[in-house]
Amino acid sequence: MNLFIYNRIRSFLIAVSVVISLLFSTTIFAENKIIQAPTFVLPGIDNTEVNLEDYRGKVVLVDFWASWCTPCIRSFPWMDEMVDKYGEQGFEIIAINMDQESILATKFLQRYPNKLTIAFDPQGVVAEQYEIMGLPNSFILNRKGEIVYKHVGFRLAELDKYEAEILSLLPQD
Amino acid sequence: MQLKSKNKTFTNISISLAAATCALAAPVTAQPSESDSWNVDAGLLIYVESDEQVQAYEGALSITKQIDDERSINVKGVIDVLTGASPNGAVAQNRAQTFTRPSGNGTYTTAAGDTPLDDTFRDTRVALSTQYQHQLSRLWLYSGGVYLSKEYDYLALSINSALARDFNNRNTTASAGFAYAYDTIEPEGGIPIAGVSVDEADNRLTDSDTKQTLDLLFGVTQVINRQALMQFNYSLSDVSGYQTDPFKILSVVDSNGWANDYVYENRPEQRSKQSLFWRTKYNLQPSGQVLDVSYRYFWDDWGITSHTIDSKWRVQLSNQHFIEPHLRYYSQQAADFYRVYLDENQPIPEYMTADYRLGELQTYTIGLKYGLPIAGNEFSVRLEYYLTQVTGDDSLAKGAGMAGVDLYPDKSAIMLQSFYRF
Amino acid sequence: MRRILLLASILSLTACSSLGVKPWERDLLAKPEMQLVENPMEIGFDDHTYFSKEGSSGGGNFAGGGCGCN
Repeated sequence: MNLFIYNRIRSFLIAVSVVISLLFSTTIFAENKIIQAPTFVLPGIDNTEVNLEDYRGKVVLVDFWASWCTPCIRSFPWMDEMVDKYGEQGFEIIAINMDQESILATKFLQRYPNKLTIAFDPQGVVAEQYEIMGLPNSFILNRKGEIVYKHVGFRLAELDKYEAEILSLLPQD
Repeated sequence: MQLKSKNKTFTNISISLAAATCALAAPVTAQPSESDSWNVDAGLLIYVESDEQVQAYEGALSITKQIDDERSINVKGVIDVLTGASPNGAVAQNRAQTFTRPSGNGTYTTAAGDTPLDDTFRDTRVALSTQYQHQLSRLWLYSGGVYLSKEYDYLALSINSALARDFNNRNTTASAGFAYAYDTIEPEGGIPIAGVSVDEADNRLTDSDTKQTLDLLFGVTQVINRQALMQFNYSLSDVSGYQTDPFKILSVVDSNGWANDYVYENRPEQRSKQSLFWRTKYNLQPSGQVLDVSYRYFWDDWGITSHTIDSKWRVQLSNQHFIEPHLRYYSQQAADFYRVYLDENQPIPEYMTADYRLGELQTYTIGLKYGLPIAGNEFSVRLEYYLTQVTGDDSLAKGAGMAGVDLYPDKSAIMLQSFYRF
Repeated sequence: MRRILLLASILSLTACSSLGVKPWERDLLAKPEMQLVENPMEIGFDDHTYFSKEGSSGGGNFAGGGCGCN
């Protein structure tokens, strides 16, 4: 099967997943209380600040990661791909680093240049507020700043599902 | 026969589950790619005892394929070659002794004052095993496998299965596993009749016999804090079937200490073993050195109780090199039916063995491991000195026959291990 | 003596629920040298040697610790 056909089938499957997610989104809403994502202001790279409130109106993926977490490392290329694909439609990723030894985070970022907004939370203050259960832990926020989807772990088998969830939140009403 | 892998099953269950837990926490190397799903470990062991006793050469290859995020499969092959001599159980005498080889082919002579050693042990063993691991859900982990080992006179088959579940935000892990093994032994010359003289013409019972082992292992691993991890295991093992060593004998001595006969040993057909194990791993900060200490208390219904203390200290050096000193101490009480020799005036007991490995002993291991990256992969070498001190009642060296004889000779061995992981 | 040891071991487990770390504090535990089975082949060689030369066996390792990822 050549690449062209494969890509078409993949796009079709993603579209189907999006439709199903939208159809079932009301059920999800009913089962998991939608809560407003805790706001935060964290240091970023090069003395910048990352303030979640600045991202209101966009679909945001808040991802907690660390350099020592192998699934986290695998998620970086995928997160870059998502930013490339949907950035113009108002999609952002804030990747919050949890390394206790900051030098490891610095080395990691030098080794894997990326297009994500990096923030640092070594004390775990924001992680605590988000009640994270493991690493990586990601939260997909809608344009109103509400947590709609959350995932513990990063599984290659579920990439299409994650992408469908992002797509389902992009349409502006 | 000496380095028989009779209880590989224990190792299989326990190692496999532990290795699974952080197959995903491999060191940050290259970009995740297809090649990361394969992991190969190659190892070599050279074991050499002093005084021309046992020498063993073992090579192992282990290949693991990460099938997907949740599952992996491992295949491992081991070959080991054994040569050299080991004590046959008879006591040393102040005169030369001649013994018939267990196979019945020829004889060998031991000089006066020397511990009788049977040099018939030349054997090659091949073992193959496969282990499957499946992260069933976020908190549940399963591991199961099959093992087979074959040498000239011994065949071992076993299966194992274990489950682990995480609690307390993955700070506590409870595990339970079992293993079942079925072994067949077919010694050259047949299975000897217990307690019967080696010279007796018709002293073979049957050609082969079997042994079954059921192991149960229960463990709890607990994260103590950011730097420390502890593990507690309880294990229980039930062995039934032929557990005697068909090549070992005991001397029957007279009042002057002279051996006038040799009889085959006999061990019970039933053995229940239990152990309690506690281990701590501690990461010292800021150096990052790791101290690993464990203690095991073992007891069985043969009267053997033992204590094992094992410790390793990993020190990272520059350029990803490391050294790891190792110290181990082991002490064991003799089995109830352990006898240095038999007295001619006493009736032959139902169970008896002069095999020093079931006697009273203390062992000391001191070693050093050195590791470094070669072609980007970890290569390590480990050199160890293993001393066994056998102890007992020295007054048993009685009469002209055994005056001045060392009934409990010490044994030293050097072990060299080497590993390459890619 | 054994019964006391066994009981002490079981009772000590009840203290387990109050110990532990947050998911992001597992950086040291994730390191290869902190894994319970850092080199399975080495453990295999050692267990085999000691089982053949001494009267005891087993005890061993099990799962747990590590990065706690996924």
